[in-house]
Amino acid sequence: MPGLLFLLIFLLLGTLLQRQFLLPVPAAIIGMLLLLLFLVIRGRTPAALQQSTQTLSPLLPLFLIPVSSGIVTQKAIVSDYGLELLLILAISLIPGILVTGWIMAGGRRS
Amino acid sequence: MISELLSMPLFWAMMTIAAFVLGQALYKATGNTPFLPPILTGVALIVAVLEVTQTPYATYMQGGQLIHLMLGPVIVMLAVPLYQFLHTMRSQWPRIALAVVLGSGTTVVTAVLLTQWWIADDTLAITLGTKSITTPVAVAITDQLGGIAAIASAAVIVTGILGAAMVPWLLRLMKCHDAQTVGLTLGVCAHAIGTARALELGSEQAAYSAMAMTLTATLHALLLPWLLPWIV
Repeated sequence: MPGLLFLLIFLLLGTLLQRQFLLPVPAAIIGMLLLLLFLVIRGRTPAALQQSTQTLSPLLPLFLIPVSSGIVTQKAIVSDYGLELLLILAISLIPGILVTGWIMAGGRRS
Repeated sequence: MISELLSMPLFWAMMTIAAFVLGQALYKATGNTPFLPPILTGVALIVAVLEVTQTPYATYMQGGQLIHLMLGPVIVMLAVPLYQFLHTMRSQWPRIALAVVLGSGTTVVTAVLLTQWWIADDTLAITLGTKSITTPVAVAITDQLGGIAAIASAAVIVTGILGAAMVPWLLRLMKCHDAQTVGLTLGVCAHAIGTARALELGSEQAAYSAMAMTLTATLHALLLPWLLPWIV
């Protein structure tokens, strides 16, 4: 899978840059930006990369299960603040939705 | 024999894949409802098995690690759709950029300030600061900033489920029915789960949602590491 090789090379580059300059941005994000820069300069997506993207995208939730299951180690926080956190998440969505919708719809409404 | 099995990394790697496959099957069986994303079912199953078998998370992670390893390359992969969006949606740049920056900024600042005021815990405030970013990126940033990755992941999933329900409803109250507005708002407020919801509404909604989610993730990944320590 040459597409995966691409991704690993850019991830490694991102990791090296992050270590070298002690950047606070995660290595994978630096890798993503480098890949984006590469695509912009190249002007199109290599077929191998396109193919890997199609293969890997549906599997994304799988790769997230291990770290998300770490919630078992956070029982104290969930039982102490679970309800508060849930309410904060719900309330904070309201201004976000209103602002985003208002900007996008503004001037477009007939 | 069973206790031996429970200590094998390969067993837990297999269980993770099995939980994902079951989660996907349940998602399909319920007609792709945004209330049961495969990640939620998958995590619930793993947590249940860990609880029942009394397996420590560290033991599980020896196998989980094998799967977790792929998260980095998959984040790098997000450059591919991002590049395609940059290309196709050039004409509306200023409005989209403004909506993504201010919209996602408002919801994150509200969440962080509410957490500070209500729970008064810096670690949790930092953790909730990543709530609007798609899970893989949120986890990476939370780790970097000293938040709790598992709580960040839970907050992101909950936000996605709430957002997928609240966005179409609130926008209807605002009398916004336009496909691009609905799609973009879903992407900004409910990331991947919102995009799954947008996909049901139509392909234009889905494209705008996917774009908004990727833009939000990139923007927050770049800005939060500098801004969050300053707000909190």
